[in-house]
Amino acid sequence: MNFGIIRALAAKDLSLYFRNKFYALITVFGLITYIIIYFVMPSTVNESLKVGLYAQVVPPVFELIPEEGLVIDMVESEEALISAVTEGKYAAGIALPADILDKLAQGLKPLITLYFTADAPVEVKDAIEVMMTELAYLQTGQPLAIETSAEILGPDKIGEQIPTRDRMRPLFAIVLLMFETMGLASLISEEVEHGTLQALLITPMTVTDLFAAKAIMGIGLAFGQVVLFMAIVGGLSSQPLIMLTALFLGGILVTGVAFLVASLAKDMMSVMAWGVVVIIALSVPAFGILFPGTITGWVKVLPSYYLVDTVHQVASFDAGWGDIWSNLLILTGFNAAFVAAGIMALRRKLQ
Amino acid sequence: MSADAIVAEDLTYWYGQLVAVDHINFTVAQGEILGFLGPNGAGKTTAIKMLTGQLKPRAGRAVLMDMDVSRNVERVQAEIGVCFEETNLYEQMSAVENLKLFARLFNVGSFDVYALLERVGLSGREKDRVEHYSKGMKQRLMVARSLVSRPRILFLDEPTSGLDPASSEAIRDIILEERQRGATVFLTTHDMMEADKLSDRVAFMNQGKIVALDTPHNLKQQYGKRALKASISGKGSKLESREIVLDTPQTPEEIHNLFAREKVVTIHSEEATLEDIFIKLTGRRLSE
Repeated sequence: MNFGIIRALAAKDLSLYFRNKFYALITVFGLITYIIIYFVMPSTVNESLKVGLYAQVVPPVFELIPEEGLVIDMVESEEALISAVTEGKYAAGIALPADILDKLAQGLKPLITLYFTADAPVEVKDAIEVMMTELAYLQTGQPLAIETSAEILGPDKIGEQIPTRDRMRPLFAIVLLMFETMGLASLISEEVEHGTLQALLITPMTVTDLFAAKAIMGIGLAFGQVVLFMAIVGGLSSQPLIMLTALFLGGILVTGVAFLVASLAKDMMSVMAWGVVVIIALSVPAFGILFPGTITGWVKVLPSYYLVDTVHQVASFDAGWGDIWSNLLILTGFNAAFVAAGIMALRRKLQ
Repeated sequence: MSADAIVAEDLTYWYGQLVAVDHINFTVAQGEILGFLGPNGAGKTTAIKMLTGQLKPRAGRAVLMDMDVSRNVERVQAEIGVCFEETNLYEQMSAVENLKLFARLFNVGSFDVYALLERVGLSGREKDRVEHYSKGMKQRLMVARSLVSRPRILFLDEPTSGLDPASSEAIRDIILEERQRGATVFLTTHDMMEADKLSDRVAFMNQGKIVALDTPHNLKQQYGKRALKASISGKGSKLESREIVLDTPQTPEEIHNLFAREKVVTIHSEEATLEDIFIKLTGRRLSE
């Protein structure tokens, strides 16, 4: 390898990248936008559930309701309750019949109407129904003959839930990284399309020099951006060395994927088409962190899972080397496979 | 060290069933300009690619400056300059940046980029982005780029194709200057006048084979015919033309008879062109 040549090529690529108005603009715009979104989003999680209650007569047991995390607002009429729930003012509405006390006293079953919006989460519906059943038992003097004990697995985050914006950090990081796939693939593809690569290949530059320069450019751009983002949004505050290692491996992944995309694509449009497919696929694990329980184990076939999981574990749970070493090892394996496959595919295309 | 800068020995390349270059043999002496002529698809570009290490021959070998190209690609490429037929410059960079990049790739230490740009007539536009250049300016920059490393062998693939006369002339001057510097020039062109004017020898290539290789003068002597063309005043003062082939035993008598029997209005000699010779040899036109 000739380091003088590699340096000249990398400097040229960096210069051309920022002379491409689209990539220059989208890079800066993307970075700033993600940072703004992060800081605009609430930094705490409101864990209280606000419920509207309409009742002509309020049974005494309802005074027991205001426990931690549950706020009950009295509403003047059932129509006002329906309207407030529909507008999203309350997570649920409870309408008690006027004869509730009489019926309970007679041992009859009063009809309590619960109002939810169509998109109310099923866990909210379940919680309100369970609460009403429990209150009925209390009111009739027949408490449920069970005791419950809650065990928290992992760090106990009750009262200090992870804000959505922090859950989004891995998503922003992976999108920032993966966007560089398109940038680097586009640079390579343009060199093939415009014939400049042919001009380079009849100089003393070797194909190895070329790949080294492109890899430096790809890793540098991706890693630089994502580190800057993480530093600004506080992602490097705990275990910075692990985080930097994970992000660096992310940069290598980007380079391998970009080589593959460049070998498949013929022009900028096809780079964009392939790039979007890649970004969506590799971003899937990040949605699993944003919406826990929505994604099953299959996601582990995606290399980005090990990056996303590491970033989330370190940034949100202060995980150490012992917790994430296997993630980093698997990610390194994926990187080796992607970079090797990318170089082979691209070398075939160049020949 | 051999006196030949370029040696092609049984150089062959095929793409699937199509034999693009079919066992061609030739040499180019140091400091010589070889015109490499042929119609589109004759195999010229494939031959150049093998000579410059871009393609590995399927059979035979190319030797440049006593180095087998396939075995010494990087060493050979450090000593040659190539100007491609298609423009392949970094359009978003300036002329200065393009040349400086290639100077770094060739590890050229001292290099006056502005002097080189002045030489190809691009002074005053050095820092403009190439995307704003005309076709002629881009072509001149392509030639300049091939000269950055002061190459010992210069490969020029259609360097004046589609250019205005002034740009073409400027490039021809540079080719002659390079020959004077001692560089060997391998020139492919469609322009017969250009080949005739610049080349020490020309090679005609057709369907992957070299069908003739000699100096333009010898080729004309061997394959061409010289003639006298006369306009004579015919019936009713209408002009008619007569042609007398030169260098035959009957030529003196035919000339005598012409002046004795006809009223000659104009007369001039005509020499065979390289195009005529190519047609005679292959039955095809070079511009096909």
